[in-house]
Amino acid sequence: MQLILWSILALGVAFGALYLGVRRAQRRLPPIALPPGEKLPTTALQRLAQWSLLAGVLLTLAAAAIVAYFGAAAWWDRDAVRLPVTGLLLAVLAVFTFYLTRVRLWTARDDGTLDERDLAILACAPAGQAPAMIVTLAAWMIGLVETYQATHAVPSAFLYLIFWSCLMVSILGLLGGVVIGYRRS
Amino acid sequence: MARATIRNEIRRLRFEHGEMTQQELADRVGCSRQTILVLEQGRYVPSLLLALQIARVFGTPVEGIFTLERTR
Repeated sequence: MQLILWSILALGVAFGALYLGVRRAQRRLPPIALPPGEKLPTTALQRLAQWSLLAGVLLTLAAAAIVAYFGAAAWWDRDAVRLPVTGLLLAVLAVFTFYLTRVRLWTARDDGTLDERDLAILACAPAGQAPAMIVTLAAWMIGLVETYQATHAVPSAFLYLIFWSCLMVSILGLLGGVVIGYRRS
Repeated sequence: MARATIRNEIRRLRFEHGEMTQQELADRVGCSRQTILVLEQGRYVPSLLLALQIARVFGTPVEGIFTLERTR
């Protein structure tokens, strides 16, 4: 349980820093004035990234909740735990594949669905991936060392969990980068 | 080095050209309405290509739409 708390704390710090960074960037920009009752129009890429991010976050949280509830050992030993978790994580990959396919299709068609600002936001979106993965790895490192320092033996199941968590953070970091890009620019 | 911002007259020009909507302008230059909106409000600086396309729609030189303004 201590391991989960470390991970939550690290991710909380990372998201807090990200939120403050976005707020700071927004304050530097002039506010968008819209007529009363009118909402800022969204772009096709923005909507796709938002829905993909929402689906990805929900599926990842569901997988993390199952692992947290049953424990890493159960994930390794029991098919009844491992299969649903793997299914949820593969579903995130499917969502991301759909997102990538749509973006590539729009880029290849060059029919105006993506304009130069969308492409600029796409180019900047990966900026948050590396810091997010470093924070995730740091959370795992601190948590595993704190938990297993006495025995000097970390269960091998954690290698899979580290891999999956880095992959999920990388995917969600990229999608989040697109969503944040529209708020910052 | 002095910082500079780019001001533009797109909003005024839209109204002078038959109250053209943001969506109409976006369709004519091949970008989203959101891009025109953030562009008008000075939150986005367009590429030279987009600036030239906008200038062509309004039949005005680029420097008649976009002006450099030193802030500091």
